[in-house]
Amino acid sequence: MSDNLARKRKSAAAVPFAMSEAHRVPKERYYDRGFFELEKEKLWHKTWQMACRLQEIPRPNDFVEYEICEQSVFLVRQADHSVKGFFNVCPHRATQLARGAGSFPGGQVTCPFHGWRWNCDGESSFIYGEHGFAPECLKKEEINLRECKVEVWGDSVWINLDANAGQLKDSIGSAAARLDDVAIGNWRVKWWQETILNANWKMAQEAFMEGWHVMRTHPQLTLGAGEATPPDSLRYDTYPGGHCSFESTVLERDYVNFDVMLASSQLLADGLDAMAIDRDMKVLESIRHKLGPGDSIREAVAREMRAYNEGAGIPMPAGIENQALWWNGMVFLFPNIFYLPMYGNSLAYRIRPYNNHPEWCRFEVWSLTTWPRSYPQTRASLKGRFDKDDADNWPLIPIQDFSNIERQQRGLHVLGYQGHRLATEWEAGISNMHRELDRRLA
Amino acid sequence: MPVVTILPGDIEIEVASGETLAQAAWRQDYQWPTTCWGEMACMVCACVVRDGEAAAEPASALEEGCIAERMPRFRQLPGTRLACQLRVIGDGLVVEKEGVRPPVCSA
Ligand code: FES
Ligand code: FES
Ligand SMILES: [Fe+2]
Repeated sequence: MSDNLARKRKSAAAVPFAMSEAHRVPKERYYDRGFFELEKEKLWHKTWQMACRLQEIPRPNDFVEYEICEQSVFLVRQADHSVKGFFNVCPHRATQLARGAGSFPGGQVTCPFHGWRWNCDGESSFIYGEHGFAPECLKKEEINLRECKVEVWGDSVWINLDANAGQLKDSIGSAAARLDDVAIGNWRVKWWQETILNANWKMAQEAFMEGWHVMRTHPQLTLGAGEATPPDSLRYDTYPGGHCSFESTVLERDYVNFDVMLASSQLLADGLDAMAIDRDMKVLESIRHKLGPGDSIREAVAREMRAYNEGAGIPMPAGIENQALWWNGMVFLFPNIFYLPMYGNSLAYRIRPYNNHPEWCRFEVWSLTTWPRSYPQTRASLKGRFDKDDADNWPLIPIQDFSNIERQQRGLHVLGYQGHRLATEWEAGISNMHRELDRRLA
Repeated sequence: MPVVTILPGDIEIEVASGETLAQAAWRQDYQWPTTCWGEMACMVCACVVRDGEAAAEPASALEEGCIAERMPRFRQLPGTRLACQLRVIGDGLVVEKEGVRPPVCSA
């Protein structure tokens, strides 16, 4: 064994509570403080992560803050419409410069403590009290704001806090290509809101990496089939880098029953206001009278959707209906972003640790859709933070999902619980994520 | 776009919709006095409305509260507004403000 390899082996073994078996997840990974600290240092400080959607900062000087554990950066739209990201701290005495979202009037980032200022490109523009400092304390390169790495993909801004990081595509490329195939770049925000969960960030997101919990968690979606619902009606894949996906198999089998297809889409429109939305329901309903005996339901849906979108000026790339994901599915991009596309719409999730605590997380949900080209681009903002069981503000489906997550986190601590055991194929995405995490933590 | 006249120099500044008077000035490279750049903290941007008041959106309770609390009494003249909060809905607004300077030519 070469020295190098031996060293690698040794450091991999040093990851605490490592994934030594692919189908078992040690429970400590969800609550151990040391593991959480290691995640901060080796994962969050070094990984590419989605920091904001471009729509949050549409105009020059618009900014938004992005927080991950104790780290904070802010993203600013530049005069040339590019985006820069800065570590969110005043080089004088550490004051945070940007909070929440807003705009820097006059293109000036101003420190609220002693009034030092920067242009939106990070260059120092004014040092109040300059003559009171030794020149070596005010070296230009130390006084300008420190940039973090920024790339744009999927109508979103991605950042990396590590100056030596590789490119975004090397990190998410294999799975991101699946989303390019369903035109992720066309999706815009319909609504966006969040909740706080008393659970580890990984525990929360694993609830969305498989579709077979639908039978018991979302019984309404089985349309009365109950336990006869097949748990294996989706196709599951994993990708190098910790990503995973599942998708509809409708391209191989077509829909058998028009009413069942219509009813399940209607449940999404009513119970989620995402994936299938009202305008899709109008198109789907119109198909009933156009279907002859023996016609393919799937082909009719694709044809009518295309006709509607073309009429309404909604972009729909050629051949997109031949992508299984366009019909329904999920793509998870490591470490913490989900997209659930359907008919030019998508649900999206982002999950982050909350309050710098291993047993709390912040869970954001977006309903994304493709608007007509003529639709005005408005600034997207978070509608609010709502309790996980607030039925006035959360649709039924997320309420059902959230309800299990905190119960799982409680269960972890019960004496005798050994750790998760995972289904070989349907839960391979969870295992794949944990094994990538171990590679990062090593 | 509504135009605002600034006394004493009769400077005219165009204000886009959704923008405040100070923001419009800064965007077009005028100097408009400030130290907080629109945070409603410094009161340095304050101006006094002299005419065409109907062309200005009325002050919010927050703006009025800030003026009452943070501006020296002797400067709280009738018609005082924070230019960084002042939105304009039509032509004809005239305000007075010392220290506003047109863009410097860099030629
Ligand atoms: S801490 Fe920012 S200027 Fe003093
Ligand atoms: S710019 Fe400071 S209060 Fe208006
Ligand atoms: Fe679910």
